[in-house]
Amino acid sequence: MANQQLDVLVICGSLRRGSYNAALARTLPALAPAAMKLRDAPPFDTIPIYNHDIQDATGFPAESRTWADAIRSADGVIIVSPEYNWSIPGGLKNAIDWVSRMKDQPFKDKPVALQSAAGGILGGSRMQYHLRQSLTSIDALLFGRPEVIVTFAAQKFDEKTLELKDQTAIDMIKLQLAGFEKFIRRVSAKE
Amino acid sequence: MANLNIVSICGSLRKGSYNAMVQRLLPSLAPEGMTIKPAPSFAEFPLYNADIQNSTGFPAPVNTLADAIRAADGVIFCTPEYNFGIPGGLKNAIDWVSRLQNQPFAGKPVALQSASPGPVGGARVQYDLRRAMMFLDAFTLNKPEIFVGNCASKFDEKTGELKDETTRGLLKQQLAAFATYIARVESKD
Repeated sequence: MANQQLDVLVICGSLRRGSYNAALARTLPALAPAAMKLRDAPPFDTIPIYNHDIQDATGFPAESRTWADAIRSADGVIIVSPEYNWSIPGGLKNAIDWVSRMKDQPFKDKPVALQSAAGGILGGSRMQYHLRQSLTSIDALLFGRPEVIVTFAAQKFDEKTLELKDQTAIDMIKLQLAGFEKFIRRVSAKE
Repeated sequence: MANLNIVSICGSLRKGSYNAMVQRLLPSLAPEGMTIKPAPSFAEFPLYNADIQNSTGFPAPVNTLADAIRAADGVIFCTPEYNFGIPGGLKNAIDWVSRLQNQPFAGKPVALQSASPGPVGGARVQYDLRRAMMFLDAFTLNKPEIFVGNCASKFDEKTGELKDETTRGLLKQQLAAFATYIARVESKD
């Protein structure tokens, strides 16, 4: 897949419309290398809270299957998420918990890159390290550096348009996306 | 010692959950004066969305759980580990109540327990929970830790009876230590 177009899925961990992380996710297409096409993941907000009894009785909820299909069909996944209480938002973790139970587990051998924006000085980094831990358990292939950690988000996005104005962050995202393209090509199965 | 009212929160929703079995055992192992009751369920919480909070307020079941935590002298979590971390549903419940004014975990004594079929017994979920609880200003008991590893061999699958005396002894020790800990950290106003 040396020059082939890469189809990369973007998952946002926040459900709120004015989310800084959703705004961050929206900046990615313009900053991606030419051969990388980005698309938004289907929503996970209506996936019920994981309960093994539901899985046994009525199977995997349709929304969880749609979400998993989108991950499976992508060449790579970028998760852009806020940090809640020093960790992964429960809703995002719930979606991961559901698909982790599937036979053809969608994160297995899937290249994944992480980004976060947060109001404070650590920029959601604790969430990223917890995600690394969980995604390790389901055999994702995690991209290392550069990390995209947008600190003091309120100062870096335009208050009204939510456009990312911070050049350092923009440069870091470009570097990460370029690095992620190489990473995907390197770790993809060589049939 | 004064009477202590504790609520227990199970991180798994499935009926046959081993962690629910641990949770059901606790009242019989509690020291004198400690009452342990299951907290109201988080099964019906929507996934956290600040837009819901801002338009229609906190969902009723969120307030019900938060009230139960506020009213308790302490909280015990009995939870499985999902994908090396906190079950998303449990974390979602914590995320909701964390946004309430008069945040219910602030200053609240908390003890952690986990059961899992693997050898580690859910250690990773406990350390993640410990971090989230630290952010929320809870007082989390240090030791003894309860990791019920290889849980399938320790419970009678049908009756839910705990067959392992070591685990029973540890649970008793932890509950006794929790009573002492609550007395130590409770507000002295």
